[in-house]
Amino acid sequence: MPSNYPGFKHGADREAVSAARVKALESLLIEKGIITGNTVDSVLGHFETKMGPFNGAKLVARAWVDPDFKQLLLADCNAACEQMDFPAGMSGAEGEHMRIAENTPEVHNVIVCTLCSCYPWPTLGLPPYWFKDPTFRARVAREPRVVLSEFGVELDDSVEIRVWDTSAQIRWWVLPMRPAGTENMSEAELAALLTPEAMMGVAQVSV
Amino acid sequence: MFTKFEHFVATSLMGSPEEAPPRRNGHLQFDRDWEKLAFGIAIALSKQGHYEWEDFRQTLIETIGEWEATHDIQDPEWDYYQCWLAALEKVAIASGVIEDDELETQIKQLLDCKAPSIP
Repeated sequence: MPSNYPGFKHGADREAVSAARVKALESLLIEKGIITGNTVDSVLGHFETKMGPFNGAKLVARAWVDPDFKQLLLADCNAACEQMDFPAGMSGAEGEHMRIAENTPEVHNVIVCTLCSCYPWPTLGLPPYWFKDPTFRARVAREPRVVLSEFGVELDDSVEIRVWDTSAQIRWWVLPMRPAGTENMSEAELAALLTPEAMMGVAQVSV
Repeated sequence: MFTKFEHFVATSLMGSPEEAPPRRNGHLQFDRDWEKLAFGIAIALSKQGHYEWEDFRQTLIETIGEWEATHDIQDPEWDYYQCWLAALEKVAIASGVIEDDELETQIKQLLDCKAPSIP
């Protein structure tokens, strides 16, 4: 078990030791031919470029510009994913059923979950800490309008709020409303407007 | 069935709030370069079959548990990736990928190189 290096315990020293420990491990593994200089980049690249909220953003932006695609996305989210240029494992190959709930002027949707592992993270990215907080879940179920206003989502009393419990069987997420003033935007520009929070229903999309 | 090992890893790590890595805006959050390196090495070694991912996970959970048992819950010294790194060293040594001694020697060499020379 590696020692703790007395005298190297705090602040900058601790940082230098941590960096040296990882570097030492990496250089030994490279020396032994177990990994190469690219191994770690390849693993990280998977998280940075293949899975994340940009996938959900692309789906929503496509749905905003293409009514047929929107219908497909609402009817069969996994089939819609298959039409995109997504990496393998994104379109339900794991038996994960994704469903998307559409926000309209009359209905606002928000998702909650009981296990973080049920979060639709291939499309939304990794869930924020507060998402799994039992207080958050309980409060969204009990007083969604108050919780949403705390997030800065002010809804008219006439808007119905629907709360979806995302689970291992069905991973729910939200199709936000396209904001006004975006009529001339390209699909890529629209995708850039989307945040994970908007696709969870705790934020609205703004320009 | 998971088609990508990384997908399986990320899903397994989301199991509990303690064990899940820091993240921001849907992405993994790395504050220091060595965190990325430690994260990537842990996954790469398991992907190559040097140890089961579950062994790493359990070691990480134990390491976090040990830290929590010996520190105040509000202790500002809490550092997720320090625990991750400690767990990685433990499984790398336990699985025989590297020897305890050679790791110690390598760390000392790196630290000595960086230390200011004493006349």
